[in-house]
Amino acid sequence: MAREEDNRGGIRDMASPRRYGIERVAYWMMRLSGLGLLAYFVGHIYETSSILRGRAGWDELLAMTQTTEGHALLAVVIGMCVFHTANGIRLMLVQGGIWSGRPGRADYPYTPRSQNARNKIAIYSSIVLAAVAMVYGLTVMFGE
Amino acid sequence: MRESLIIRIHYATALAAVALVAVHVLIRVTQGFAESLEYESVVANYRFLPYAGLLEIILILLSVHGFNGLRVILLELRQGRRYERAVTLACVAAAVAVIAYGSRTIILMNMGAV
Repeated sequence: MAREEDNRGGIRDMASPRRYGIERVAYWMMRLSGLGLLAYFVGHIYETSSILRGRAGWDELLAMTQTTEGHALLAVVIGMCVFHTANGIRLMLVQGGIWSGRPGRADYPYTPRSQNARNKIAIYSSIVLAAVAMVYGLTVMFGE
Repeated sequence: MRESLIIRIHYATALAAVALVAVHVLIRVTQGFAESLEYESVVANYRFLPYAGLLEIILILLSVHGFNGLRVILLELRQGRRYERAVTLACVAAAVAVIAYGSRTIILMNMGAV
Protein backbone atom coordinates (compact mmCIF):
# COMPACT_ATOMS: atom_id res chain seq x y z
CA MET A 1 0.00 0.00 0.00
CA ALA A 2 2.84 2.35 0.96
CA ARG A 3 4.55 1.59 -2.35
CA GLU A 4 1.38 2.50 -4.24
CA GLU A 5 1.29 5.81 -2.38
CA ASP A 6 4.95 6.48 -3.33
CA ASN A 7 4.28 5.77 -6.97
CA ARG A 8 1.35 8.11 -7.14
CA GLY A 9 2.76 11.29 -8.63
CA GLY A 10 -0.53 13.13 -8.92
CA ILE A 11 -0.78 16.41 -10.82
CA ARG A 12 3.02 16.99 -10.72
CA ASP A 13 3.78 13.79 -12.68
CA MET A 14 0.78 14.21 -14.93
CA ALA A 15 1.94 17.68 -15.95
CA SER A 16 5.66 16.92 -16.26
CA PRO A 17 6.77 17.53 -19.87
CA ARG A 18 10.32 16.24 -19.21
CA ARG A 19 11.74 13.00 -20.62
CA TYR A 20 8.67 12.06 -22.66
CA GLY A 21 8.97 14.35 -25.68
CA ILE A 22 6.34 16.33 -27.56
CA GLU A 23 3.68 13.65 -26.89
CA ARG A 24 3.76 14.45 -23.17
CA VAL A 25 3.63 18.18 -23.94
CA ALA A 26 0.56 17.52 -26.11
CA TYR A 27 -0.91 15.41 -23.29
CA TRP A 28 -0.82 18.19 -20.72
CA MET A 29 -1.62 20.94 -23.23
CA MET A 30 -4.76 18.96 -24.15
CA ARG A 31 -5.80 18.82 -20.50
CA LEU A 32 -4.87 22.42 -19.68
CA SER A 33 -6.66 23.73 -22.78
CA GLY A 34 -9.68 21.57 -21.91
CA LEU A 35 -9.85 22.93 -18.38
CA GLY A 36 -9.32 26.48 -19.64
CA LEU A 37 -12.07 26.12 -22.22
CA LEU A 38 -14.45 24.64 -19.64
CA ALA A 39 -13.77 27.59 -17.31
CA TYR A 40 -14.33 30.01 -20.21
CA PHE A 41 -17.52 28.19 -21.25
CA VAL A 42 -19.02 28.41 -17.75
CA GLY A 43 -17.96 32.07 -17.53
CA HIS A 44 -19.45 32.74 -20.99
CA ILE A 45 -22.80 31.23 -19.96
CA TYR A 46 -22.78 33.43 -16.86
CA GLU A 47 -21.72 36.63 -18.65
CA THR A 48 -24.26 36.28 -21.47
CA SER A 49 -27.05 35.92 -18.90
CA SER A 50 -26.47 39.61 -18.10
CA ILE A 51 -28.58 40.41 -21.17
CA LEU A 52 -31.61 39.49 -19.04
CA ARG A 53 -30.91 42.72 -17.10
CA GLY A 54 -31.62 44.69 -20.28
CA ARG A 55 -29.46 47.16 -22.19
CA ALA A 56 -27.81 48.53 -19.05
CA GLY A 57 -26.70 45.07 -17.92
CA TRP A 58 -25.40 44.15 -21.37
CA ASP A 59 -23.53 47.43 -21.89
CA GLU A 60 -21.98 47.06 -18.44
CA LEU A 61 -20.72 43.60 -19.42
CA LEU A 62 -19.38 44.82 -22.78
CA ALA A 63 -17.51 47.65 -21.07
CA MET A 64 -15.84 45.04 -18.90
CA THR A 65 -14.96 42.56 -21.69
CA GLN A 66 -14.23 44.86 -24.66
CA THR A 67 -10.89 45.94 -23.25
CA THR A 68 -7.28 45.14 -24.17
CA GLU A 69 -7.16 42.55 -21.38
CA GLY A 70 -10.51 41.10 -22.49
CA HIS A 71 -9.31 40.77 -26.08
CA ALA A 72 -6.02 39.21 -24.96
CA LEU A 73 -7.94 36.67 -22.87
CA LEU A 74 -10.20 35.88 -25.82
CA ALA A 75 -7.13 35.38 -28.04
CA VAL A 76 -5.81 32.81 -25.53
CA VAL A 77 -9.23 31.11 -25.59
CA ILE A 78 -9.10 31.00 -29.42
CA GLY A 79 -5.63 29.43 -29.26
CA MET A 80 -6.75 26.84 -26.69
CA CYS A 81 -9.85 26.06 -28.74
CA VAL A 82 -7.94 25.49 -32.00
CA PHE A 83 -5.23 23.38 -30.35
CA HIS A 84 -7.80 21.32 -28.42
CA THR A 85 -9.79 20.70 -31.62
CA ALA A 86 -6.83 19.82 -33.86
CA ASN A 87 -5.11 17.63 -31.27
CA GLY A 88 -8.46 16.05 -30.36
CA ILE A 89 -9.03 15.02 -33.97
CA ARG A 90 -5.50 13.52 -34.01
CA LEU A 91 -6.32 11.53 -30.86
CA MET A 92 -9.58 10.26 -32.34
CA LEU A 93 -7.72 9.07 -35.46
CA VAL A 94 -4.99 7.38 -33.40
CA GLN A 95 -7.52 5.65 -31.14
CA GLY A 96 -9.36 4.51 -34.26
CA GLY A 97 -6.16 2.84 -35.49
CA ILE A 98 -5.28 5.52 -38.05
CA TRP A 99 -1.74 7.00 -37.79
CA SER A 100 -0.90 4.54 -35.00
CA GLY A 101 1.61 2.61 -37.14
CA ARG A 102 1.80 -1.03 -38.23
CA PRO A 103 2.31 -3.61 -35.48
CA GLY A 104 5.81 -5.09 -35.49
CA ARG A 105 8.33 -7.08 -33.47
CA ALA A 106 9.65 -5.21 -30.47
CA ASP A 107 13.36 -4.66 -31.19
CA TYR A 108 15.87 -2.49 -29.40
CA PRO A 109 15.59 0.50 -28.81
CA TYR A 110 11.86 -0.32 -28.50
CA THR A 111 10.54 2.83 -30.15
CA PRO A 112 6.75 2.80 -29.83
CA ARG A 113 5.21 2.52 -33.30
CA SER A 114 2.38 4.83 -32.32
CA GLN A 115 4.79 7.68 -31.51
CA ASN A 116 5.76 8.16 -35.13
CA ALA A 117 6.66 11.17 -37.29
CA ARG A 118 3.08 11.67 -38.48
CA ASN A 119 1.88 12.13 -34.92
CA LYS A 120 4.70 14.51 -34.08
CA ILE A 121 3.98 16.57 -37.20
CA ALA A 122 0.28 16.64 -36.29
CA ILE A 123 1.09 17.91 -32.78
CA TYR A 124 3.42 20.63 -34.08
CA SER A 125 0.81 21.55 -36.72
CA SER A 126 -1.83 21.90 -33.99
CA ILE A 127 0.43 24.32 -32.12
CA VAL A 128 1.15 26.34 -35.28
CA LEU A 129 -2.56 26.42 -36.19
CA ALA A 130 -3.42 27.65 -32.70
CA ALA A 131 -0.82 30.42 -32.99
CA VAL A 132 -2.14 31.48 -36.42
CA ALA A 133 -5.73 31.51 -35.11
CA MET A 134 -4.66 33.65 -32.14
CA VAL A 135 -3.02 36.20 -34.46
CA TYR A 136 -6.12 36.22 -36.71
CA GLY A 137 -8.37 36.66 -33.66
CA LEU A 138 -6.28 39.56 -32.39
CA THR A 139 -6.40 41.16 -35.87
CA VAL A 140 -10.21 40.92 -35.91
CA MET A 141 -10.64 42.18 -32.34
CA PHE A 142 -8.13 45.04 -32.47
CA GLY A 143 -8.82 45.85 -36.12
CA GLU A 144 -12.20 47.41 -35.28
CA MET B 1 -22.89 3.36 -18.49
CA ARG B 2 -19.93 1.62 -20.13
CA GLU B 3 -16.78 3.70 -20.60
CA SER B 4 -16.64 2.63 -24.28
CA LEU B 5 -20.04 4.25 -24.83
CA ILE B 6 -19.06 7.34 -22.83
CA ILE B 7 -15.94 7.90 -24.97
CA ARG B 8 -18.06 7.59 -28.12
CA ILE B 9 -20.44 10.21 -26.76
CA HIS B 10 -17.37 12.33 -25.88
CA TYR B 11 -16.10 12.14 -29.48
CA ALA B 12 -19.54 12.66 -31.05
CA THR B 13 -20.23 15.76 -28.92
CA ALA B 14 -16.76 17.08 -29.81
CA LEU B 15 -17.25 16.72 -33.57
CA ALA B 16 -20.78 18.16 -33.49
CA ALA B 17 -19.65 21.05 -31.28
CA VAL B 18 -16.76 21.92 -33.63
CA ALA B 19 -19.19 22.29 -36.55
CA LEU B 20 -21.80 24.28 -34.61
CA VAL B 21 -19.34 26.52 -32.75
CA ALA B 22 -17.76 27.31 -36.13
CA VAL B 23 -21.18 28.56 -37.32
CA HIS B 24 -21.59 30.57 -34.08
CA VAL B 25 -18.14 32.20 -34.49
CA LEU B 26 -18.62 32.81 -38.25
CA ILE B 27 -21.84 34.72 -37.53
CA ARG B 28 -19.89 36.97 -35.09
CA VAL B 29 -17.10 37.56 -37.61
CA THR B 30 -19.26 38.09 -40.71
CA GLN B 31 -21.53 40.58 -38.89
CA GLY B 32 -18.46 42.49 -37.73
CA PHE B 33 -17.18 41.54 -34.29
CA ALA B 34 -18.11 44.79 -32.48
CA GLU B 35 -21.45 45.25 -34.30
CA SER B 36 -22.52 41.67 -33.60
CA LEU B 37 -22.11 42.31 -29.87
CA GLU B 38 -24.37 45.36 -29.82
CA TYR B 39 -27.49 44.98 -27.69
CA GLU B 40 -30.01 45.06 -30.59
CA SER B 41 -28.00 42.52 -32.57
CA VAL B 42 -27.72 40.09 -29.65
CA VAL B 43 -31.44 40.40 -28.83
CA ALA B 44 -32.30 39.78 -32.50
CA ASN B 45 -30.08 36.67 -32.46
CA TYR B 46 -31.91 35.26 -29.44
CA ARG B 47 -35.36 36.03 -30.93
CA PHE B 48 -34.46 34.19 -34.17
CA LEU B 49 -35.62 30.66 -33.33
CA PRO B 50 -33.12 28.67 -35.47
CA TYR B 51 -30.22 30.59 -33.92
CA ALA B 52 -31.64 30.16 -30.40
CA GLY B 53 -31.93 26.44 -31.18
CA LEU B 54 -28.31 26.39 -32.35
CA LEU B 55 -27.21 28.02 -29.07
CA GLU B 56 -29.21 25.49 -27.05
CA ILE B 57 -27.63 22.54 -28.91
CA ILE B 58 -24.13 24.02 -28.47
CA LEU B 59 -24.88 24.51 -24.76
CA ILE B 60 -25.84 20.85 -24.32
CA LEU B 61 -22.98 19.49 -26.47
CA LEU B 62 -20.28 21.53 -24.73
CA SER B 63 -21.66 20.88 -21.25
CA VAL B 64 -21.65 17.12 -21.82
CA HIS B 65 -18.21 17.16 -23.50
CA GLY B 66 -16.63 19.60 -21.05
CA PHE B 67 -17.78 18.01 -17.81
CA ASN B 68 -17.05 14.51 -19.09
CA GLY B 69 -13.54 15.73 -19.95
CA LEU B 70 -13.20 17.09 -16.41
CA ARG B 71 -14.41 13.72 -15.06
CA VAL B 72 -11.78 11.88 -17.13
CA ILE B 73 -8.99 14.18 -15.87
CA LEU B 74 -10.10 13.73 -12.25
CA LEU B 75 -10.28 9.93 -12.69
CA GLU B 76 -6.74 9.91 -14.08
CA LEU B 77 -5.50 11.51 -10.88
CA ARG B 78 -7.07 9.09 -8.45
CA GLN B 79 -9.15 5.93 -8.53
CA GLY B 80 -11.49 4.18 -6.14
CA ARG B 81 -15.12 3.14 -6.17
CA ARG B 82 -16.42 5.93 -3.92
CA TYR B 83 -14.17 8.59 -5.45
CA GLU B 84 -15.17 7.68 -9.02
CA ARG B 85 -18.85 7.67 -8.12
CA ALA B 86 -18.56 11.04 -6.36
CA VAL B 87 -16.68 12.60 -9.31
CA THR B 88 -19.20 11.25 -11.83
CA LEU B 89 -22.18 12.50 -9.82
CA ALA B 90 -20.59 15.93 -9.29
CA CYS B 91 -19.79 16.30 -13.01
CA VAL B 92 -23.30 15.24 -14.06
CA ALA B 93 -24.80 17.70 -11.53
CA ALA B 94 -22.52 20.51 -12.76
CA ALA B 95 -23.42 19.81 -16.42
CA VAL B 96 -27.15 19.80 -15.60
CA ALA B 97 -26.78 23.07 -13.64
CA VAL B 98 -24.93 24.81 -16.50
CA ILE B 99 -27.47 23.55 -19.08
CA ALA B 100 -30.36 24.74 -16.89
CA TYR B 101 -28.80 28.17 -16.30
CA GLY B 102 -27.90 28.67 -19.99
CA SER B 103 -31.29 27.41 -21.18
CA ARG B 104 -33.00 29.91 -18.89
CA THR B 105 -31.24 32.79 -20.72
CA ILE B 106 -32.00 31.38 -24.20
CA ILE B 107 -35.67 30.58 -23.45
CA LEU B 108 -36.44 33.88 -21.70
CA MET B 109 -34.75 35.92 -24.44
CA ASN B 110 -36.44 33.94 -27.21
CA MET B 111 -39.83 34.48 -25.57
CA GLY B 112 -39.18 38.21 -25.41
CA ALA B 113 -38.80 38.53 -21.64
CA VAL B 114 -36.50 41.54 -22.19
